[in-house]
Order: sequence, then structure tokens, then C-alpha cells
Amino acid sequence: MAELEFERRLERLFGDAPAFSDEKAFAMAVERKLARGWTLRRMLIGAAGLVGGVVGASQLILSNFMGQVEAASEGSSRILRAGVAEWAPRVELLSALPAGTSVVWIASGLAVLAMGFVLTRVIEEF
Amino acid sequence: MSGANTTRLANLHDVELAALAAAGDRAAFGELVRRHGSAVRGLLRRMGSAPAEADDVAQDAFLMAFERIREFRGEGAFAAWVKKIAARLYLRRLQRERRLAGLAQEAEDGSVDAHQPDAAGRIDLDEGLKSLGAAERLCVSMCYGAGLSHAETAEALNLPLGTVKSHVKRGLEKLRTRLAPAGAALEGRQGNG
Repeated sequence: MAELEFERRLERLFGDAPAFSDEKAFAMAVERKLARGWTLRRMLIGAAGLVGGVVGASQLILSNFMGQVEAASEGSSRILRAGVAEWAPRVELLSALPAGTSVVWIASGLAVLAMGFVLTRVIEEF
Repeated sequence: MSGANTTRLANLHDVELAALAAAGDRAAFGELVRRHGSAVRGLLRRMGSAPAEADDVAQDAFLMAFERIREFRGEGAFAAWVKKIAARLYLRRLQRERRLAGLAQEAEDGSVDAHQPDAAGRIDLDEGLKSLGAAERLCVSMCYGAGLSHAETAEALNLPLGTVKSHVKRGLEKLRTRLAPAGAALEGRQGNG
């Protein structure tokens, strides 16, 4: 019984935190390190997102994705034109759209941005 | 950090601060460091660490706690959770620097008599711990200061469970005879930075 009481007393004594004169300086040092680590982490995440985007873009280009998209785009554009001409022969809506390759490049650019954004979010979460 | 935010954080419970920190609020975590920094630093010194090293390890422990803050679910006290992290980090550092084996194997007669007794020959906890051997001090501090079980301490120190129990038993016996009686003025004495 006395042994148990002594153990409880020892736990209480250990629980009494000593007072340090530099408590605030210690807390500030930890916060500074946290801020530095956070900035570094964000930079790494940004860099990883950028690298991911570049890798994604290069993969798209190397796999001849552009040619296929362009062909598909031209095909669907022809079908769309025929459809529109059938229903509204006087309206030249599609002539207002940018032509062929530039549309593909803009879409690819947006896809790379989206991929970079998704990668960044995923890395931040985990 | 604005004064209003400081006041708001100061009024929150540890669990609420931890939840904010888990959402990325570094100011909330800073408040936790202010509240419990001394407890963690004190424990490491009681384990036998030099003051500068103790502060270094305590800082690392808080940084690790921030990284792992989502693991803290508020079932126990936040200070106890960080103390466990700090104790394990300190042991890891001792292992890395090959100091742990020497400490853990230290013979019983390795104890030092650095205590400064009061008039009745009784001393406070910090002085009492200094009078223990390094292994006894480590084991007692880990079990009663960091809240680790004997088995967890044995695993962390890479020692047989029986050896840890012996160190703890001997350490407690020494402390029981040397500590000032409960309620004595020495008990409330506090160290300084």
C-alpha cells in the first residue's frame, strides 16, 4: 500500500513541470522551425506538382495524343457542322471557334494545369 | 499573431487546440508548445539529458508531434502524448550516438551522490534523480515521468524486462529513502532555465 502511494506521489512529482525563465523563447523557436518547415514543404509540393504536370504533358505529347485528338476533333467538328447546317443552315456558329491545333493545345494546357493542381492537393493531403 | 487570437487560443482546451493544429493552424500548436514546453523539457532533463540537448530534443519532439497531430485523439493528456514522443526521441539519439548501451549496462555502483540534502538530509525529486545510476534514472523517468509501461521501457531501451524492473525497483528504493516527505517544502521547489 505504502509502495503504491509512493508511486502515485512520484507520478505527481514528475507531473509538476519545472518553471523555465526562457519558456517564451523556447515556444518561439519551435514556431519558427514550424514556419520554416511549412514553407519548405509548400515549395516541395509546388515543385512536385510542376514536375508532375511536365511529366504528364510530355507523356501526352510522346504518345501522339495530339495527333489522335486533332483527328478526333476534326471528325467530330465535321459531324457537328453537318448537324448544325441541317438544323440551322444560316447560322455560322462554329466559325467563331478557334481552329484545329490551337484548340488542342489550349485543352492540353488546361489538362496539365488541372493535373498539377490535383497532384499538389494529393501530396498536401498525405 | 493578433492579441485577440492569442486570447481566443488561450481559452481553448488542449483537444480543441490539437484539432485546430490538425487543420494546419500553427498558432494553435504554438499555444500548445507554450503550455507544455516546460513539462517536456523538464522530463528530458530528469532523464539525464544536458540542458541544451534536452531543449534540442524537446523542439524535435514538438515538431514531430505537429506532423503526427492527427494521431492525437484526446483520449489522454496532450502533455503525456508529447512526453512519450520526446522520451523515445531522446533514447533514439542516445542509441545513434552509441551512448545508450553504456548507460543501460551501467552497474549499480555507478550512481552519483550529487544531491544537496536539506537540513534533515532529505532532497527534492530533481536532486534525488541525480543520486541514481544512469540506467535507474532512465527507467524511473520513463515509467513515472513519460508514462511508459515496464514492457515499453524495456523495448525502448532494448533491455530484458527483468532488468528494467530491477532498475526501477532499485531506483524507487533509493528515492523513497532520500526524498523529502510528502508535503514538505522541497516538493514544490522548482528549477530554473
